[in-house]
Amino acid sequence: MLDAIRSKVDRGERLSPEDGIALFQHPDVVAVGQLANQVRERLHGDRTYFNRNMRLEVTNVCVASCLFCSFAKLEEGSPGAHTMRAEDAWAELEARMDDPPSEIHIVNGLHPGLPFSYYEELLSGFKRIKPDVHMKCFTAVEIHFFSKLYGMSYREVLERLRRAGLDSLPGGGAEIFHPEVRTRISHDKATADEYLEVHRVAHGLGIRTNATMLYGHIETFEHRVDHLMRLRALQDETRGLQAFIPLAFHPDGNGMRNLPAPTAVDALRTVAVSRLLLDNVPHIKAYWVSMTPEVAQIALRFGADDLDGTIVHETIYRAAGSRSPGALSVEQLVRLVQEAGRMPVERDTLYNVVREHPRASLPEAALRVRERKASKHLEVLS
Amino acid sequence: MSALVDRAIHGASLDDVLAARRTGVVTAEQVERLRGADLLVLGALADRVRAEEVGDEVRIFTEPGPDPEPDVVVLPQAGQELTGLDLLREVALARMSGPRAARVRVDWTRCGLELAQIALGFGASELEGRIASKRGLPLVEGERLGVGKKSRMELAEIVKRKELEGFVRRAGRLPSFAQEVS
Repeated sequence: MLDAIRSKVDRGERLSPEDGIALFQHPDVVAVGQLANQVRERLHGDRTYFNRNMRLEVTNVCVASCLFCSFAKLEEGSPGAHTMRAEDAWAELEARMDDPPSEIHIVNGLHPGLPFSYYEELLSGFKRIKPDVHMKCFTAVEIHFFSKLYGMSYREVLERLRRAGLDSLPGGGAEIFHPEVRTRISHDKATADEYLEVHRVAHGLGIRTNATMLYGHIETFEHRVDHLMRLRALQDETRGLQAFIPLAFHPDGNGMRNLPAPTAVDALRTVAVSRLLLDNVPHIKAYWVSMTPEVAQIALRFGADDLDGTIVHETIYRAAGSRSPGALSVEQLVRLVQEAGRMPVERDTLYNVVREHPRASLPEAALRVRERKASKHLEVLS
Repeated sequence: MSALVDRAIHGASLDDVLAARRTGVVTAEQVERLRGADLLVLGALADRVRAEEVGDEVRIFTEPGPDPEPDVVVLPQAGQELTGLDLLREVALARMSGPRAARVRVDWTRCGLELAQIALGFGASELEGRIASKRGLPLVEGERLGVGKKSRMELAEIVKRKELEGFVRRAGRLPSFAQEVS
């Protein structure tokens, strides 16, 4: 089966949903990774992207009750609930103006009590501080929520936010599209069709977006493939998706804490299959917060071409038990990429090149192995 | 195994290494070539050799023994600072350069369970480490953990063993607990 898929990949032929399921089920994850790596190198060579970004979650008050979420608190005033004043959010950027991010990535709970002007002021305030900062803010689920709460169409919401400073949308909130799963894990927020429609409208307005998939909980491989197929169909139509980000489920402190977290092998396989199925999405991210920097580094050989960014301040995955660090420096990201034998490229949000860093002449790992003392078995050989 | 792996090995000009492994000993020159090989091809080769020589069983050691075992390669070695990619390459090289049916063991206490699991696809056949809490602390004797939707309480040791078994099974392998490091 893998050989038939390889022939398709060699010919640049589109893979079918059945191929996707076969790839998820194939016992040899390294072989699947090789195929994905072939596509990744065809598209990007050794180039591996990251950016300087800053995460903010200005409120964790949320009317949705997603089973997988450890971040949201249902009501203002609940223990741990917080909503930042816009001034406090802006202060986070002001404090980093010595080495400013090129992107601010804001994702929030669905707060029922804030006026729409809060979000507009939030955006315009960041732009006042740093006019060229890219505001990648509000998932499609939030845009849908704003539409319902404030009585506007998706287009009106997006146009007003764009006037205030919005530049692009992040990909969160996709979870798993298939209703068999979505109705069980997140029944009271935007449906799959609504999520996709927000992206469609955004793309129509020239707003680029990303997309995600939360995997490793109650979904099946068929559900994952269905999810990827829906994204591929949207991309055929609009060409507005920049990157796909598989997000590993983390079980701590949420309604699915009885489930084991997906494993690193599953993470690598999902990255690889995503690369192979999403033939029209330019970039696949190994989101290091979700899969740890170590596994993300390996994923750069399994189809991923992007590590996301410096992040700074992520709280959603940390609430769910992620052991990844809270931030990585540019130097750390460059080293991760170089050690993987790739060429680090700092980008802006729209994948314009900011700086190309040198690649290691050989994979640094191989160099260090060569320099290291031979293991006892190698001594036997000599 | 698929012909895809065959082709990858052939494409990397490593057929002779596989043949040498099957018939005798891999030479130092061949090991040198393996060191410079693409990591995934090297991993696929090592995994094939592992499957042919030791099968799918993964022996899990949860109690440290008093002395290092002479016939076991444990990675990462004490004091070794390895990236994940380093570790995978070392594991694969240990499999390819070691004696037939070599015992290549990964210490998850040193590298984390995630990397240890991936290493099972790169030629490792054994796992070693202490069973500990999520934060790495030793379990207290008799400690219990909530499991399942109704938070049924079970001995933490048993829960952790089941998690380890799951880790191995989800890597497509068969777990088997050894009582202790001999």
